[in-house]
Amino acid sequence: MISHNRHAPECGVSESIGFMLILTLVIVGIGMVTLYGYPLLMKQQVSADEQIMEKNMIVLQNDIKSLAYKTVPYKETSLKIGGGTLGVYNASSTPAISTITLYNADTSEVYVQEFHPGDLRYESENAQEDISLQNGAVLKRPRLNTGSVMIAEPRWFYDSTSNTMVINLISINSTTFMSREGIGTVQMALGESSYQYVPLDGDEVVVEYAPDPNADYSTAWNNYFVNSLNMEKVGTSTYRLPFDSSRKATLAIKKYDVFIKSL
Amino acid sequence: MARLNDDAQWIVLMGFIVSFSLFFLAILINQSTVVGQTTAEAVSEFPKNDIRGVREVIIASESITDTTEKERVQREIKILSLSRQNAAVDFSAKSSTTHTYIDIHYNNGVAAYNETYTTS
Repeated sequence: MISHNRHAPECGVSESIGFMLILTLVIVGIGMVTLYGYPLLMKQQVSADEQIMEKNMIVLQNDIKSLAYKTVPYKETSLKIGGGTLGVYNASSTPAISTITLYNADTSEVYVQEFHPGDLRYESENAQEDISLQNGAVLKRPRLNTGSVMIAEPRWFYDSTSNTMVINLISINSTTFMSREGIGTVQMALGESSYQYVPLDGDEVVVEYAPDPNADYSTAWNNYFVNSLNMEKVGTSTYRLPFDSSRKATLAIKKYDVFIKSL
Repeated sequence: MARLNDDAQWIVLMGFIVSFSLFFLAILINQSTVVGQTTAEAVSEFPKNDIRGVREVIIASESITDTTEKERVQREIKILSLSRQNAAVDFSAKSSTTHTYIDIHYNNGVAAYNETYTTS
């Protein structure tokens, strides 16, 4: 209670200097936020848009899975496309959106000749990245650099017990080139599908992947073929299927045609 | 100078707790869509009916007495399951004096199922 009796020295205390100090702090604060905080927020928005689109693409991939493997005739998904555009490059667009060729290396019999998968592609304006739904897989690549990653894998599989490889080829088609920005509904329908059953007897089957020079996803597909499916890389873009050559093998090739009615 | 009154420090503490919990909630919400998607997919994509169907047919095919007929039916089962259900199916039977054991294998790329069925 001593302090009550004694006054603190207040000789240097000035209201205007205090006001100036606080005002400066406020203005510097606002300045810092606009200078550093705002661009950071914008960057966050761009990456949020991208993440949302990645999820949207996985949803669309599930729609395609339902169409192809569960023979659901029609699917519809509403989604928001922010910070870029979603476009359909159909299977007949030129230059071709990557091609897949499957052939027997021993008899040189061709099972699939230059299959065109088409592409449902999100092109981000701000992030300079592309996310593609191609041949049943979701892929991502930077537009100005090389390299790409696979976000969700297609359903190709090798069953070692029965020595069977199942290859699902999904082509995306539309009547014209379509694209959309903002909120839209993607309507998809199942078109024709075909099935090929190839019994093999120790033959070497090779898959060849030729990328689109404008949208090169070869790194992602290479990693998928080599790491996930245990294929052996035999050429620059050719891979040997992981069959056990000592036993009888089966190759099943299924082709599905998914028709994008509208975006 | 007045003595520092620190009775209301809990307000500041609560502020911290609330803001940190909001931060973690935001992270959780960010992850939830992905997790929900994969779990839902795992449940909806498990081919229960396909496995049941193919298993029943395989067991029934073992009781066919005509050998050529049996071979043809069993080959058809494999081809049909590949074309219709997108699944690689393999099976073989061993007979002992009293029982028949059937090894059933099913794989559709998402789920694999193995069973040794014993006839009574």
